[in-house]
Formats: sequence, C-alpha cells, structure tokens
Amino acid sequence: MTFSIVHLLPELLGTYGDQGNVEILSWRLKERSIDHEVIVVHAGDKVPTKADLYLLGGGEDDAQIAAAEILNHGRALAKAHEGGAHFFAVCAGFQLLGSTFPASGERTVEGLGIVAVETISATPRSVGELISTPTIDVPMLTGFENHGGQTRFLEDLQPLGNVSVGIGNSESSKVDGVVTDRVVATYMHGPAFARNPELADWILARKLGELAPISAPIFTALHDERIKNVK
Amino acid sequence: MYLSIVIALARFGGLLSRITKRGSGVMVAGRVILKLIPGAVSTLSAGRSVVLISGTNGKSTTTALIHQALSTKSNTTSNYTGANLFPGIATALAENRAATFAALEVDEMVLPWAIRETKPKVIVLLNLGRDQLDRLSEVRVVAAKWKAALVGLPASCTVLADADDPFVTWAARDWVNVVWFTGGVTGHIDASTCPECGAVLNWTADGTSYSCACGFKKPSPEWILRDGNLSGPNSQRVSVVSGIPGKAAISNAARAIITSSLLGISTSDSCAAIAKISSVDGRFSTLKIGSTNFRLLLSKNPASWRETLATSSSGPKAVALVVNANTQDGKDTSWLWDVDFSPLRGRTVVVTGDRRLDVSVRLTVNEIEHKVADNESDAANLLGNCEADLIASYTAFHRLAKGVKR
Ligand SMILES: [Zn+2]
Repeated sequence: MTFSIVHLLPELLGTYGDQGNVEILSWRLKERSIDHEVIVVHAGDKVPTKADLYLLGGGEDDAQIAAAEILNHGRALAKAHEGGAHFFAVCAGFQLLGSTFPASGERTVEGLGIVAVETISATPRSVGELISTPTIDVPMLTGFENHGGQTRFLEDLQPLGNVSVGIGNSESSKVDGVVTDRVVATYMHGPAFARNPELADWILARKLGELAPISAPIFTALHDERIKNVK
Repeated sequence: MYLSIVIALARFGGLLSRITKRGSGVMVAGRVILKLIPGAVSTLSAGRSVVLISGTNGKSTTTALIHQALSTKSNTTSNYTGANLFPGIATALAENRAATFAALEVDEMVLPWAIRETKPKVIVLLNLGRDQLDRLSEVRVVAAKWKAALVGLPASCTVLADADDPFVTWAARDWVNVVWFTGGVTGHIDASTCPECGAVLNWTADGTSYSCACGFKKPSPEWILRDGNLSGPNSQRVSVVSGIPGKAAISNAARAIITSSLLGISTSDSCAAIAKISSVDGRFSTLKIGSTNFRLLLSKNPASWRETLATSSSGPKAVALVVNANTQDGKDTSWLWDVDFSPLRGRTVVVTGDRRLDVSVRLTVNEIEHKVADNESDAANLLGNCEADLIASYTAFHRLAKGVKR
C-alpha cells in the first residue's frame, strides 16, 4: 500500500520553509524504501479526503484566511480527520486547525475545528529560538518560532512540549503545540523535521508501525548543535 | 554656513572613527550631521536631482550603475557601498556638495522618510520579497508603507516600477507618473494573495502575469527587456551590456539606462558607461584563500539565492557556501528550504559558516553531495588549488569582501 502525504496549499502556507517538512518525510520514507506519494494541493484543486497524512505550514495573515476558506469548503479536512487521517501542522497551520484565529482589524476568522484550541492576537510577536521537553518519546525539541498569536486549549489537551526557551503557545502556558490521537501541531519551524528527525519518524510510526532505523548523523548533529548553542 | 561647519566636523568625526577603528566612518559622519541638524538631508537635497533606489534585492548594484550613468553628464554623489539608512544617505549628500545628481540606495523601511526629505526626481522600485523574516514585517506591510509614501509625492517625480512584482505594482499603481518596466521575472514566492483584497491571486501558467477578480492586475509596461534587448517609448531600442554577470545584473543595467534617460542622458551614453562596471562593493571580486581562488558572490534571501545559484552555474566547478545567521543575515534559517539547490548537483560543494549544519541537512535532503568545513580556510584546503565560487550570506560576505583589494 502506498503511504500518501498531502501537502496543503504550499503557496499560501509555506512562509517558513514548510515544504521542507514534506521533503524530509519523503526522504526518510525513501531511505527505508517505503512506497509513498506526495499529493500537492493548490488553491482551486479538490482536497483529497482519504490520504494518510496531511501537512499544513505557516503563512501570512491574508494567506491564512484564504486557506481557511478553501479548506473549510465542503468540510474536506474535517471529513479526512473523521476518516482517520493524521495531521501535522505548524504555526498558522496549527492556528487553522483550531476553532478561531485572529485577523487584522480585530476580526476573528473561523478555523477548521479539528482541534479544541483557539488563537487570539498578541503583541509583541513571539520571535526566536524555541526549545521544549517533549511529552512524547522523542529527544528534546528545537525550532524557531515567529507568530503574533497566542493559542489556548479549550479542553484538557496534551501539549507537544514543555517550553524551556522561547514562548510557544503562550507566555503563561509555557507549553508548545498539541498532540492528539491523530494530530501533532507546533509553533516550531526551522523546519521542524530538519531539526527534529525523531519527531518525523514518531508521526510516521503512528500510521506505519515500527520503522527501521536510518543512518543520517547530520540530522542528529544539527539537532544537538541547536540545543547546545541556544540557551 | 552652519551646515558647512557641521559637515567639516562630521568628516573629522568620521576620520577619527576610521583611525581609531571604532566603526565605519560613513555612519559616524552621517550620524553627527543628523544629530546636529535634523533637517540636513532636506537642505542638502535642495536644488539637486535626486534618484532613490529601493527594493529587497539589487539596490547596491542598481545604484552603482545609475551613479556611473549619471556621472557621464554631471557630477554625481552616491552611497552605493550599502550605507542605506539615514546616516549613510546624509553622508552621501554631504560629502560631495558640488554634485548635481544624487543616486541614493534606500532601505525599504527608510524609503518614506527619504521621499519626504529629498523630494526625488526619480524613484526606482525594484522588487519586494521576504527577507529576514525574524526582523521585518510581512511583505505586504512594507508595500503598504511605500503606497502611503507615494501619495505625498510632488507631481514632478517619476516612479520607475517593476510591473512583474505584484507588491511593487500595488504600491505604485495609484501614482500618476509611473513608468512601468518588465525584466521578464516570472512568478513571485510571496505573492500568492492579492495585495489589494487578499483573495488568491491568479497567475498565468508561465508566471509572467497576474490578475485578481477585484480588478488588480499587471500593468502593461512601457519598457520591456527581453533577451538583453531593451525597448521603450518612441521606438527606443538598446542592447544592454553588463560587465557584471547574471540575469539580474542585466535587468538592473536596464533600469539604470531608463532612469538616466528620464534625466536627459542618451541610452547609448549610459549603456556604454554601465558596461565598464564589473564589480560593486566586492560582489564578483576575487579573493585567494590558501591555494583556492574564490570569486565572491552575495546571497541574502530565497530570491537572491535562486538568482545567484543560476549565475554561478556557468562559473567554476567548485563552490563554497557560507551561511551565517547573525542579525543582518536574519536569525531564522528556514528559508534554506525555500531554495532548490539542484543547480549545484554535479559540482564540487563545500559548506561552512556558523549554520553549516543547517545547510548540510538541506543539501542532504536535496540529494547534493557535499563536504562540511569548519571555516573558509578549511574549505579552501578541501578544494585545493582551483577556481571556485564562494556564495556567502551577508555578514560572511562583508567580512570576506574586506580582504579584497579594491
Ligand atoms: Zn484582489
């Protein structure tokens, strides 16, 4: 069976090198000779509802609103989620998965309602290195955050990590991201999988079962260098 | 009179800072002038024909070319060595008071101020794209600042604007005296939504044009650059020759020719003058490290990396990439994933710089064979006795360019 990855709206949600996450997943699957395909969905394309993993990246205000409109159309993404698909979302993509997110001029825009979080606007922007201790079985997490929103949980949810450097979801919560049975979301870009290859594998393994190890010491070297040099 | 004394004082201050190696003399002199006379730039601009050049990429080169072309007609002052904030602009105007022309490179965020103070004859708007995302705001926000600044222009000012760039078009399109230019740039990495209404912008499949349901669309250009041939109004035609390598350099040369023609200089005169320039502020100059002869190339953001990789692909087989992430480089390296490094495939590649591991991971996934070096000397050791391109981000480039004899 071919493992299918859907890369959602790269032209709208790709401000922070987010397509890198797709490339890294694809590379790691290829290294293990796991049959897979990447379906790129552009504005105007039909959103598939039966794929295995959906990726949403970061984007600027207008682009995020345009993306919400496209992805809410016919509840395509909600249906995919209900059908058992997995999601990985970063930054604007994380905010999009929630119930609402802010837009310019005090407006509030409706998100996809897949995760019980909401985002409000906050100043100053949270910009800089982000390090957290994961709540899942992977090494320390490292990324770079850049967002003007604070995200809060609307019910009891598991964060992805407990923040030691940076802001994450919000100054007061000291956590970054969220993990549910089928969703992993974070404010880390960099992109996230370049610096945290085990996070990529952890997400793949939830769908594919245990994965063979691959030798790619350069990923580990980058991960360790970032943790070491960001204090 | 007072202004003259201040300038003399400032020169002394600048000299002092150079002697004591405490900083760039340019910045110190300009700071002194602006501190003592806040309106100095306005006074120093009066009675001169000022050209302002701004945009994300190509400012220094275009400014140097315009400086060269304008100099064929009259004494011209300029800040094309990249000091493009308030002090650098003040210094350029102060240090050559005999100049009748001023070709001033202006930081994107400083442009509104520069327009107010200098009352320019021509404004050249190159392009707007993502750059140092951790420091600057969204591209559209910068475009909005430009748009507001152009509203206050005197009618005697002409704006030379790039019709290929939706953000530039949006900023300039309300202004009456716009001269539209196309250099054949296709697509735009950040212009996926309409700057006017926020809807998804419609691009033609070949990326040469854009439009939106709200009526926003690519204007039809008066000046068209195609395969090195520039054609303009009244059947003007000129074959653009650039001493600087690369496609972007030809576009910038074309803009310099158009700007000069707006100020009464014939296209043949400016074209001949421009062709003589082969290096601007260390770009494309050579530097020997160990036994390797490096040609220095500067890259700052995804758009400029794409351009530089294309230019470099007709260069030597060996290439070193030097990437830092200091404040001036932008601290966020995620842009590495917006650049397709495939043009490097088949070449001998060495990466170094503070963020060499980020680059190495990127190249690994991009399936480009490479080696990682601790520093430039180490990179030179790995490359050995050969010609090589060295593509560097901002801080590394400027450190290395200082070692080049000018
Ligand atoms: Zn529109």
